[in-house]
Amino acid sequence: MSGDGATDGDIVRAVLAGDVERYAVLVGRYRDRYARYAARMLGSRDAAEDAVQDALIRAFDRLVDCREPDKFAGWLFLILRNRCFAEQRRRQREGRLLEDGDGAIAGPERSDRAVEERERHHALGRALGHLTPEQRDVFVLKHVEGLSYDEIAQRSGASVASLKMRMHRAYDRLRDLMKEHI
Amino acid sequence: MKAVRLALAVILVAGIPRAAAAQDAAARLDARVSADVARAVQEIAHDAAERGLPVEPLIQKAIEGGAKRVPAERVIGAVRQLAARLDEARSAERAAGLTAPQPDAIESGAYALNAGMTAQQVSELVRVSQPPYDPAVTLRVAATLTALGVPPAQGLATIEHLIAAGRPPSELLDLPSEVQRGTARGATPAEAAQQLDPQQQGGAVVRGSGQRGHPTPQPPPHPHKP
Amino acid sequence: MTPYHELVKRVLDGELTLADLPAELRAEGEEAVRLLAAVDRAPVRLSPQLDARVMAAVRRHAQSPVRRAWRWVAAPREIELRLRVRPGVVWGGALAAAAALALLLGRPAAPGAAPAAVASVPARDSVFVRFVLYAPSAKQVTVAGTFNQWDQNAAPLIPAGTSGVWTTTLALPVGQHQYAFVVDGRRWVADPAAPAVGDGFGRRNSVVAVTTGARIL
Repeated sequence: MSGDGATDGDIVRAVLAGDVERYAVLVGRYRDRYARYAARMLGSRDAAEDAVQDALIRAFDRLVDCREPDKFAGWLFLILRNRCFAEQRRRQREGRLLEDGDGAIAGPERSDRAVEERERHHALGRALGHLTPEQRDVFVLKHVEGLSYDEIAQRSGASVASLKMRMHRAYDRLRDLMKEHI
Repeated sequence: MKAVRLALAVILVAGIPRAAAAQDAAARLDARVSADVARAVQEIAHDAAERGLPVEPLIQKAIEGGAKRVPAERVIGAVRQLAARLDEARSAERAAGLTAPQPDAIESGAYALNAGMTAQQVSELVRVSQPPYDPAVTLRVAATLTALGVPPAQGLATIEHLIAAGRPPSELLDLPSEVQRGTARGATPAEAAQQLDPQQQGGAVVRGSGQRGHPTPQPPPHPHKP
Repeated sequence: MTPYHELVKRVLDGELTLADLPAELRAEGEEAVRLLAAVDRAPVRLSPQLDARVMAAVRRHAQSPVRRAWRWVAAPREIELRLRVRPGVVWGGALAAAAALALLLGRPAAPGAAPAAVASVPARDSVFVRFVLYAPSAKQVTVAGTFNQWDQNAAPLIPAGTSGVWTTTLALPVGQHQYAFVVDGRRWVADPAAPAVGDGFGRRNSVVAVTTGARIL
């Protein structure tokens, strides 16, 4: 799909003016960008796919609310994040934990070392499931997505101090859960 | 109110489905209009129901007259006139090929006549309103345009041209607000409607935003949330 | 469960390196780093059909009348604001964009600007509609119509600050409604911002039609 020269803002404005098909450009640009975050938050690729799909559709429905069309990416991320939180709350109400991760995330293993590594990945993934959603969110944003505390604070509206507090509790919890693996 | 209740009893004997409506009508007119008005309106409503016309608009008109403290004769006159309009609308729709016009189509037709369209114009519009275009809706749009000050013939033409161009029915529903946007910018209703006629504009699109050729600026926060 | 030492947490945060730790914390620090190494940062690829599914839904939603109503309401309008106060005359207004209420001085007997705007759909088969009237010298304003049996006490409007604007929001059932404003309990005034029809009694009523899909005519 062409439109690579257009900025996100251009496309948002075009869609708002009625050119619905151009939304596909934004879908193409962002479909995978936050997939990893959603997968880590929800524990499986399938759940991530549902969440990303819903978020993209909801972003279209609410496009008129996007105050800064050039910052569509960040705005979409917040929609996805809320969707992930909502999903987790729903699971909590239903008494379910995170889905146990799927093997589809890593590639095919070649060696024992790789198997071991993969097992550790899985173990941490499961351990993440035992954190609170807020703890998981800050951990994934910083250590999977590579954001700084300042960047996370900007997106989430929380203060850096409270984010650090959450994170430090997460570290301790993970230490406990990962006892056998590290 | 005894007279009204006696009349009600008579209606009850006459037929069950209409009786329910009549009973409801009596209850609603009670205490909102004088006994004279209630009695007369019940009769008119009964007649109308017998002829298969919708009764609700008649009751509403009577209640309205009562609320506005209009003298009894005037209320009765207005209700009679409305009944006649409903009848006229239905005839016009039948003449256009609708064998059994539905209540909402009849009401829309009466609204159109009341707004200033002729029976002939009503027929014409019904004739071109084949599925997926619902005559109750197209009539309402035409009536609203007329009520906004668009000359009836022009409103009718605009709608017909949109139908002929195969535009989706939902686009017709946008017409009144588009005319109002036009008049807000200083156009006359006729001018505003002309802008929306595909045959006048060579393909003008009825759309909510961005048709002036400059980029749609930043949308404001929602003003309309109650 | 033993919590990590403060300094080790700062290593995890990236503020310190292992080399910054005192000797007795080195082992704990290395363990913490191994923990982080267990994080799976592999990119996640979603299925190729995702785009098609999203766009299919997007196209469906784009057709919905509710969406068209929202888009119309949110798009900015070029409306001239000219305000003249004439004693004894009330002017109907409509909600325009942003925080401002657009008050229209139409030409006499010409209708005003945008209609009472549609809001969200509150419950099945009814829609919130906002009514606005500019009546700075009124003491009381209500709206009466077919939706409330023309009861002039049923739906009072509330002054919006000191602007002279009165407003209320009602949930109207789907269908066609006629209405008028009642000023100070005795003056029946049609809404100049809405289509008007004769009421059969020598005055004019305003008309609003609410359709399924939350469109207002």
